Amino acid sequence: MPHSERHEELVAATALGVPLDADRAELERHLAEGCARCEMLLVDLREASTALAAEAPPVRPPDALRGRILSSLGPARVPAKPASPVFARLLAAAAMLLLVIVGLDDARLRRQREELRSQSAELASRLQSAESALAERTLRARVLESDDVQMLMLGGKDPQPSARGRVFWSPKAKRGVLVAANLTPLPADRQYELWVFQKGKPVAAGVFDVDPQGRALFESTQFPEAEAQNFAVTIEPRGGVPAPTGPIVLVGSPAA
Amino acid sequence: MSQTREDPDRALMARIEARDADALAALYDRYGGRLLGLAQRILGRGGEAEEVLQEVFLFAWKSAATFDPSRGTVRTWLLIATRSRSIDRLRSRRSSSRPEVRSLEEVTVNPAAPDDVEASSSDREWESLCRAAVGDLPEDQRRALELAYFEGLTHQEIAARTATPLGTVKTRVRLGLMKLRERMRPYLGSGSDAS
Repeated sequence: MPHSERHEELVAATALGVPLDADRAELERHLAEGCARCEMLLVDLREASTALAAEAPPVRPPDALRGRILSSLGPARVPAKPASPVFARLLAAAAMLLLVIVGLDDARLRRQREELRSQSAELASRLQSAESALAERTLRARVLESDDVQMLMLGGKDPQPSARGRVFWSPKAKRGVLVAANLTPLPADRQYELWVFQKGKPVAAGVFDVDPQGRALFESTQFPEAEAQNFAVTIEPRGGVPAPTGPIVLVGSPAA
Repeated sequence: MSQTREDPDRALMARIEARDADALAALYDRYGGRLLGLAQRILGRGGEAEEVLQEVFLFAWKSAATFDPSRGTVRTWLLIATRSRSIDRLRSRRSSSRPEVRSLEEVTVNPAAPDDVEASSSDREWESLCRAAVGDLPEDQRRALELAYFEGLTHQEIAARTATPLGTVKTRVRLGLMKLRERMRPYLGSGSDAS
């Protein structure tokens, strides 16, 4: 759909964090079609909206708070999971996702919790399908059954806040598997690209498409040897690019 | 040229990615007061605003790698994280307990004395530009933006609160933000001011 004032209205609301409800899908479609004007506008208006924050004068934080924060810093590494049979691992992962949906005290997820509650049944079913497909793949032998397999949940960001994913990877095998759901199917000239954050920098880990239901099961053999700190998925021109240029739709939250 | 390209905060972020706790402490000293002021404006004085501040800096520590300088400044990144977490709590408060009807006047906290919080000259410059930009907005646009930003109201809720047609509210929000964008160009991160 061509760019219109209505899209700017939706972009303005999104930049301001105003829930779009039924209109969200329309904006997501428009951005997925690659409207550079709206992309740029969203970045600008998000930044511009913070001008409002200056109306709230700074307040000196209590002295103890600084110490509390600094003493609570821990390494943001994802602990290795013990090896277990694939099926049990996948069931556990599905159960964990539901637990996360219902109860995780993560601020970003909390914002979407109400919406996610109603979607949890559907998500569970989609996950089952994706995981059945996963079980059929030989990659499980290479990644999921590695004794150093690790896992990180990915959450959706604007413009696809309901997207969800998990990355299983084996640093030894330098391979990883992304299982994702609720991604918007892209126009023919676009693909999703997976990024591995290594020493804070994104490293391209391959491009993939989603099925009409927005699900993806993608194996990457391009994982860097060094430890992966985080993952993200962006929308890029078909074939991929060496450094991210498009919007981030999925990103890991090591904090979770 | 754009100040974002010389932003010393980005050096701090690089050090935070490398797990330098001193860099996080420096970021806290630079923005802790500003972010707490925002959280208190939204949530009122009390423990929740401090909890938000703690969450935001833990987020910065653990997710520094996800900061994308092409999408805005570090200050914006932190302000958005603070504002969204505060609004989450405000909405959760509304849905889980009593439906509150709060006015801006009720949630406005007493500002700290001007000298109470040290601000860098660049922060003061930013604040003064922001205040001028917001202050120059037509009253109805400013009011719509404030209701959305500080109270997390939807378009429909703003329309009801201000007894204004929904379409008018949407237009005010759009025009108001567009005007802020024009005034804030020196700070924008998309490169749209690069000409």
